[in-house]
Amino acid sequence: MSAQPVADLTPAPEVPTLVVDGVSVTFAGIKALSDVSFTVAPGSIHALIGPNGAGKSTCFNVLSGIYRATSGAVRFGEHNLIGLRPHRIARLGVARAFQNIALSKGQTVAENLMLGRHALTHSGFVSSGLRLPSAVREGRLHGARIQEIAEFVGLGKKLRSPAGLLSYGDQKRVEVGRALACEPRLLLLDEPVAGMNAEESSHMASLIAEVRQELGISILLVEHDMGLVMGISDRVTVLDFGRLIAEGTPAQVQDDPNVVRAYLGTGEDEDGDPSQAGRPAAKERER
Amino acid sequence: MSDGRTALLRRLRIGTLVRILLVVVLAALPLYLDNSLLQTGLFSMAAVVGAIGLTILTGAAGQLSLAHAFFLAVGAYSYSYFAGLPDPSKASKAHGLGLPPVLAMVLAVAMAGVVGLLFSPIAGRLRGIYLGVASLSLVFIGSFVYENARGLTGGFNGRAATDFSLFGFQFAADHPPLSILNVPYGRFERLWYLFLFLAVLAYVFGTNVLRGRMGRAMQTMRDSEVAAATMGVDIRRTKAGVFALSSMYAGLAGVMVALAFTRVTPDYFILPLSISYLAMVVIGGLGSVGGATLGAVFVTALPTLLSRYSDSLPFVAAPASGGYDAGKISAALFGLAIVLFVLFEPGGLSALGKRLTGRVRRHTPGGVRGHKPDDRAVEPQRTLPRSGNTTRTQEDPV
Repeated sequence: MSAQPVADLTPAPEVPTLVVDGVSVTFAGIKALSDVSFTVAPGSIHALIGPNGAGKSTCFNVLSGIYRATSGAVRFGEHNLIGLRPHRIARLGVARAFQNIALSKGQTVAENLMLGRHALTHSGFVSSGLRLPSAVREGRLHGARIQEIAEFVGLGKKLRSPAGLLSYGDQKRVEVGRALACEPRLLLLDEPVAGMNAEESSHMASLIAEVRQELGISILLVEHDMGLVMGISDRVTVLDFGRLIAEGTPAQVQDDPNVVRAYLGTGEDEDGDPSQAGRPAAKERER
Repeated sequence: MSDGRTALLRRLRIGTLVRILLVVVLAALPLYLDNSLLQTGLFSMAAVVGAIGLTILTGAAGQLSLAHAFFLAVGAYSYSYFAGLPDPSKASKAHGLGLPPVLAMVLAVAMAGVVGLLFSPIAGRLRGIYLGVASLSLVFIGSFVYENARGLTGGFNGRAATDFSLFGFQFAADHPPLSILNVPYGRFERLWYLFLFLAVLAYVFGTNVLRGRMGRAMQTMRDSEVAAATMGVDIRRTKAGVFALSSMYAGLAGVMVALAFTRVTPDYFILPLSISYLAMVVIGGLGSVGGATLGAVFVTALPTLLSRYSDSLPFVAAPASGGYDAGKISAALFGLAIVLFVLFEPGGLSALGKRLTGRVRRHTPGGVRGHKPDDRAVEPQRTLPRSGNTTRTQEDPV
């Protein structure tokens, strides 16, 4: 049942490139993503931004195998992720922290984090039901790593609290910690600071930077907080209405007229109100 | 933290002590109880095993099943078939392999698991109420099979269940004769210890499963299927596995029922049996092994206890007198209990017990109001070594 727990604890040393190549997703005739391509370089922090409804979450759902792309390819190293079921993708080293917290609220923080070890552990019904030595040893080994990860994300003292009783900010940390517990090679962070106050956001930002620094893994980030995105990202991809409209370094993207138009509208539409963050205006533009 | 941990350890030890004490008391009961109470106890322990299986499936994994009665039948009939002797002279014409009862019991449980796995193309793809409806079909298919596959089941009249024996020690007869403290140990007393052993085994195994890797996986699957899958849990496989495990629990409960009844008849394994198992796990508290145990005893023992003491209880009519007899009253009480628990304590008896012992309150400090100001001021340890051999030296926090 437990082959070599020690070997399992060692993550794959190389972090592959993620290539999203011409991915389209259609729901009942509506194109949620059309022909989106971008590349996440190994060990980089790559942000995916865009107004609401731009297709960022759809893109994440394709990457983690929840939606299936209508066309296109997603290559992670030598693997094509399209068509793989979510747990297969997880086992390739792609982990995700959810935007709207998807923790098991009745379980403790430790148990939630241990779930991240699922693909790295082996105990089945029989070995854990009978508490065979392999299962006990596995729990101890991986529990030690969980302790490290919990301390790293700032939850070292809350391992035994039920996750549902933590504050919102702490639950977001559990989300990130659970994804880290997978020992990912690519970390997908879906709006990690949404709903946080300024102080919590800045803690999360430094945490993200430190994850990259300490682990050397790639991070793909969806976020609306432009300060965070521009501060920590190496590259930024901008989506609007399912299409890629800009890509480059944060500085390049900030000056891109397409991006400004997507977020603020052009001001040319009859009812375009630049202060309304551009959605009605943008919709008009699309007609 | 260390204070919290020692408190936790102490509580665990007290909990374990209480459980051990309970088992000792249960082991001494045959010295005092008469046969009718012993039989109630036997059925209660069979129900405990079945209910633990159902609470793992329905409570922990969130997969509703109404097929529990069917899997009890699979266990009961398989045991009778494997252990029974062919007896063509009888009207039932049921076949049998004449295997040793212990082997027959193991095979019967395995058979229930195999039948559960055969259902996995459905069990692995459906969730919640949809699985409940799909599993309902098994109960009706089962009813048809019990009455028509006479070679296996004995048809409408059922078939006898071979008495249990272990290495020549008969659990049914008085051979070898045995008496403890001048109490003769007959059939019910002997079966009591077998059932107690099986129930404790089922309890410990179930608790360990829920605490282990698959338990975490199924509970997260219940709370968010997408999150579980994204963390590497193979949803279909896990659902199929939990369903098979639950079927095996039901199969063992079926074997126990067959042993307690000495006979397996089709009219027992019908939909109301499935429903009463659901009542047990809801009253006990979904997903709690201890709760399922309490719920099973409550639901199984209440009708017989009510009818036994109907003379001294107000409002309880004599059985079959047309009034509110013990059966009707206990059915009403189960309904009332379910409504009250769902409204006021969805965690069932187990949550009620935890509240009474103050467990919940002791659990929360550091959780509910975890945001002490200094918590924020102190920067968390900002290094995370890449996972490797460094992790092996530390103690187990989980």
